[in-house]
Amino acid sequence: MEHAKPLAVGNEGREVFWNAQSFEPVLFLLTALAMAVFIYGVYQRWQMWRALGKPEIRWDNVGERIKALFLNGFLQVKTWKDPYPGIMHGLIFFGFFVLIFGAAFDAGEFHITEPLFNWSFLRGDFYLGFSFLMEVFGLFVLIGIIMALFRRYVTKPDRLGYKGTPDNTADDAIVLLLIGAIIVTGFIIEALRIYVTNPSWEVWSFVGWWISRGFAGLDYATAKMLHKLSWWLHAILALAFIAYIPYSRLLHMITTPANHFMMSLKPAGSLEPIRDFETAVSFGAGNLEDFTWKQIFDSESCTRCGRCQEGCPAYLSGKPLSPKKVIQDIKTHWLARVPAAVKAKALAEARAKAGATDAQSAEAAASQEAAAAELPGKVIDLHELWACTNCMYCMEHCSASIEHVPKIVNMRQYKVLTEADFAPELQLTYRNMENNSNPWGIGAHLRGDWAKDLGIKTLAEDPNVEYLFYVGCSGSFDDRGKKVSVAFAKILQAAGVSFGILGNEEGCCGDSAMRGGNEYLFQALAQANVAVMNGYGVKKIITTCPHGYNALKKDYPNFDGKYEVFHHTEIIADLIAKGKITLPKSLEGQFTYHDSCFLGRYNEIYSEPRKILSAIPGLKFVEMERNLDKSFCCGAGGARMWMEEDQGERINDMRTDQAIAVKADTVAVACPFCLTMISDGIKDRQMTEKMVSLDVAEIVLKAMGIEETKPQVDVCTT
Amino acid sequence: MNIIACVKQVPDTEAQIKVKADGSGIEEGQIKWVMNPYDEFGVEEALRLKEKNGGDVTIISVGPARAMETIRTALAMGADKGVHVCDPVLDKADAYVTAAALAAVIKGMPYDIIFCGQRAIDDDSGQVGAILAEMLDIPQLTIITKVEYAGSTIKAIKPIEGAQLLIETALPCVVTAQKGLNEPRYASLPGIMKAKKKPVDVKNAAALGIAVEAKAKVVKTIPPPARAAGKIICGDDPAQKAVEVARLLREEAKVI
Amino acid sequence: MAKGVWIVAEQRDGALRKISFELASTARKLADQTGDEVSAILLGSGIESLAAQLGKYGVDKVYVGDSPALEPYVTEAHAAAVAKIVKENDPAILLLGASVQGKDLAARLAGKLATGLATDCTDVKIADGKLLAVRPMYAGKCFGEIVTGSNPQIASLRPNVFPVAENAKAAQVVKFDPAVDAAQLKSKVLEVQKDTSGKVDLTEANVIVSGGRGMKGPEGYAILEELADTLHGCVGASRAAVDAGWRPQKDQVGQTGKVVSPNLYIACGISGAIQHLAGMSSSKYIVAINKDAEAPIFAKADYGVVDDLFKVVPELNSACKKLLA
Repeated sequence: MEHAKPLAVGNEGREVFWNAQSFEPVLFLLTALAMAVFIYGVYQRWQMWRALGKPEIRWDNVGERIKALFLNGFLQVKTWKDPYPGIMHGLIFFGFFVLIFGAAFDAGEFHITEPLFNWSFLRGDFYLGFSFLMEVFGLFVLIGIIMALFRRYVTKPDRLGYKGTPDNTADDAIVLLLIGAIIVTGFIIEALRIYVTNPSWEVWSFVGWWISRGFAGLDYATAKMLHKLSWWLHAILALAFIAYIPYSRLLHMITTPANHFMMSLKPAGSLEPIRDFETAVSFGAGNLEDFTWKQIFDSESCTRCGRCQEGCPAYLSGKPLSPKKVIQDIKTHWLARVPAAVKAKALAEARAKAGATDAQSAEAAASQEAAAAELPGKVIDLHELWACTNCMYCMEHCSASIEHVPKIVNMRQYKVLTEADFAPELQLTYRNMENNSNPWGIGAHLRGDWAKDLGIKTLAEDPNVEYLFYVGCSGSFDDRGKKVSVAFAKILQAAGVSFGILGNEEGCCGDSAMRGGNEYLFQALAQANVAVMNGYGVKKIITTCPHGYNALKKDYPNFDGKYEVFHHTEIIADLIAKGKITLPKSLEGQFTYHDSCFLGRYNEIYSEPRKILSAIPGLKFVEMERNLDKSFCCGAGGARMWMEEDQGERINDMRTDQAIAVKADTVAVACPFCLTMISDGIKDRQMTEKMVSLDVAEIVLKAMGIEETKPQVDVCTT
Repeated sequence: MNIIACVKQVPDTEAQIKVKADGSGIEEGQIKWVMNPYDEFGVEEALRLKEKNGGDVTIISVGPARAMETIRTALAMGADKGVHVCDPVLDKADAYVTAAALAAVIKGMPYDIIFCGQRAIDDDSGQVGAILAEMLDIPQLTIITKVEYAGSTIKAIKPIEGAQLLIETALPCVVTAQKGLNEPRYASLPGIMKAKKKPVDVKNAAALGIAVEAKAKVVKTIPPPARAAGKIICGDDPAQKAVEVARLLREEAKVI
Repeated sequence: MAKGVWIVAEQRDGALRKISFELASTARKLADQTGDEVSAILLGSGIESLAAQLGKYGVDKVYVGDSPALEPYVTEAHAAAVAKIVKENDPAILLLGASVQGKDLAARLAGKLATGLATDCTDVKIADGKLLAVRPMYAGKCFGEIVTGSNPQIASLRPNVFPVAENAKAAQVVKFDPAVDAAQLKSKVLEVQKDTSGKVDLTEANVIVSGGRGMKGPEGYAILEELADTLHGCVGASRAAVDAGWRPQKDQVGQTGKVVSPNLYIACGISGAIQHLAGMSSSKYIVAINKDAEAPIFAKADYGVVDDLFKVVPELNSACKKLLA
């Protein structure tokens, strides 16, 4: 039995390929094989990504894209937001990253610096530090894997499944165990090497050192044999890992960073307008072909982490929609269809090379036209499709930069525009918008009536004002909404702000039409408003409704409506900051603020409403559990305001419960939809005696000491 | 089946109706024009019959140039072709003249069933369907909420005060549609685009050879008496207040 | 020269309907101005004995067309019978009720007699020797004054608008042969469905009694059902009540439910959120019963009662019963 000569202190370092010198050629061969399998898999995938979907450019503004890649792909900014899974993934990701660098250091020394420059840098203290670091990160990976296994198979959070059923696949287990096994075998090899070579400094490789102590008594020959064995095991597992990447969820190592790089650089939530109404035969997404390739690619970057599902108001209120399920269902459907598409594409390309006739391409196009729509209805259940409130939680929190909402809107467009098959109550809403430019169908000539007797001029009367107050439908027609309009107008008047309204020339902003899939109606409404506004040379606009705010700000520029748009909370916060209005009156009670999705997640207006409330003397403020970018939708966005909610619990009641939970007396809102929904929730929960929902403007008006004039109710007229 | 649906363009239900100062009619400037909702039920029923039994649907409208939009709307819903009787001499047409124009058009074409709205929400006359049926010498089924086609006859449900009738009628006939007959469809966008290319035959009064003198003339249009503001019934006794409401409903509102 | 004011009396199941008396009384008033006689046409099977009742309201002559082919009402048969007797006698004015049956018949007659018809009149008078009919148009947003150049000048009168006034005449009964052959009729009434409860859709109802959150629970609707029965109406509900599971979805009135426009809408315990108003504000008359005087529904109501609906509704039911008895 040969005992290695104990290495003296001062020789810190290690022999690469110790006990495995002769394996090198075989290893190279296997590596080449693994790489070939990997490259083939990626190539295959590449063909699949190219096979379906319309073209879209997602590689402009490279600088910005690299930044996004660095932040989300490397630093994992979005992943960290959730502590447990964030740490879990961070340990695995950074652990693996460092280990791979370590391996690269080893290889670099062995294959490059030593043979070429006779330079061995993994020596001495550097080696000790390097070893220690590798041990730590190896341990990190192992801890991460254990955390992942524990989470996936023991605690089983709902988001790793759907409605209480985990969606685990064999691949999930294989990947975790594979990584775990690579790390464990790595440690064992190290331990056996340390056991046999026994260098005292390897105490720095503390894990290997600690394991090696366990081999005490083992004879060296056996140890070396075991070492060889585990060495091969380790090598094969590592190579298998590489080869497995394109065929498993490990693909996300490529696709997810790629998706970050290709993320939308457009303003959050803005939708691409349909430009061709006249000649197209189909609108929106009925089949995969109607998506862009990037919209399909999204599904490839999805790791089923379930962050989207965790805050989705539709999912949480018991509706069948889960953003994760939508993305995964699209993927399943894509995987079923893509082999044929790859073949077809190859054929088409070959034909194009050979110079195909127009007749042939027309024939091919016609066969496409005839394809029955499969996405909405078959792949994505219609209840799922219509349950989305467009609240943007999923997109905001997706750690793969997936864009769920536009896909949902595209599929709705197919149902509404191409098939005209959608909820009758939404049809009524659209007819009302068409005929009277408001969702309730109240006579359009009554739009400006709320402002009568307030001394507010229309732009027709005086176009030389600084701001246009775009009132919107709620503010113009809904008795509750009108009070908000009046309150805000009074604030503006008190502050001496120069403003006017459009009166009966104003029209519906069209947000509900757009988000409900009726792009045609939306564009008609937008164009009508733009024509009026541009006619008056409008430059600055204030809205009290975040839906109008968002549409005017982000979507109207597509139709030559380019304005500086403000939400009334921005204006009020500014007036308070500049001392234009004073808030002398203190307000009693506990206040909370409900973030409107279209104000918060869509436009990052989080601080203004809170600043306003904090400026009010005596006001006690408490946050609800779900707030800011994690705020819970009221349930009215995405045209849901106009639809029946017949599945699961009512979203507005759930949100109201969250306000009740923090003992709020007043739920401050900054959106007429939220105001309606929360007010209804308060009624549903029979809390009308104890709780009220008010718009921020109404609260400010109270604090200004200006009483809103109550409508006279004549209790006896006969 | 050869199905005909007659449509009229009317002001939207919510439109503000302003009587001209001289009482000669209403101001049309700001009005949003739509298809008469009852006619829309007729168009929808026509389309459903066609979808079930085959055939084609012809839309006929008597009205000024703008009525073409309404014909296009019906074509967008799925009707096959249109006839537009458009002539300034028909601007003051009453139900009789309108029916005569429709009859003149229809006499020149095959038909199995003709749908009209039970009334138009502008003049609220509710006569055209019946007069048309008389002119074509075919039976009429007015104010119908359900239609069942059975070969050479149709069965229909007609609500009357406190009951409803199940009526059977030989075809061809005129059916006037009442709310409840169906839920009209929302036109698809490809439908709207296709409708622009569907054939619409434009005819004038002379071509139809009809007399254009109205039988019933609106000699004056007058604004309604200002509707009294809502009354809150006074008193402390619920029973007394209830009796007062009943009295007002009977004597003032005349709805019970 | 056309002469005389005529009416088409309406009977159902062997009894004259109230509209017939309204027609008779109105015709009498007109005839007194022109110095003419009032004649009534009475059609049906075995209804001759009803003729005398018409005399009580000023009818001078009753033309009775009695034939099995005239029962139940079928447009063709009645139109043919009326046209025959009218053509024989050439009256100047012909009045019918704007009931379901009257509207159907009047329009057919306008076609048959090639004359003008004013539908659903709320006022009729004689001006320059001709009939001047006043009728609502555009759902009552304006009124039209109608003059017909040809004879007979037909008008259908809105029920319950014209007063009934007794003016006893010894109505002379003239029987005539309606010349209608039942076998020749192209239309046939197969069935009269009397019990329409649950069959009439909210959107078709003339009267809707609707309850909201203020009903407190499903039991509360019993009193609304009773009132609806009395008024031959339907029961509706607000979204809150449907959400609470008190009423079925099909009863929901509002933006996301059914859009209704009855003649009378009685809102009980409904505050009147815009989404509800959007579904019922085109009702001709709105009654609101609610404890909360500030409920927005009162701003839309023609008649409001600020009180406990559980006290008001049963009283309203008995008051209506009395009036309708």
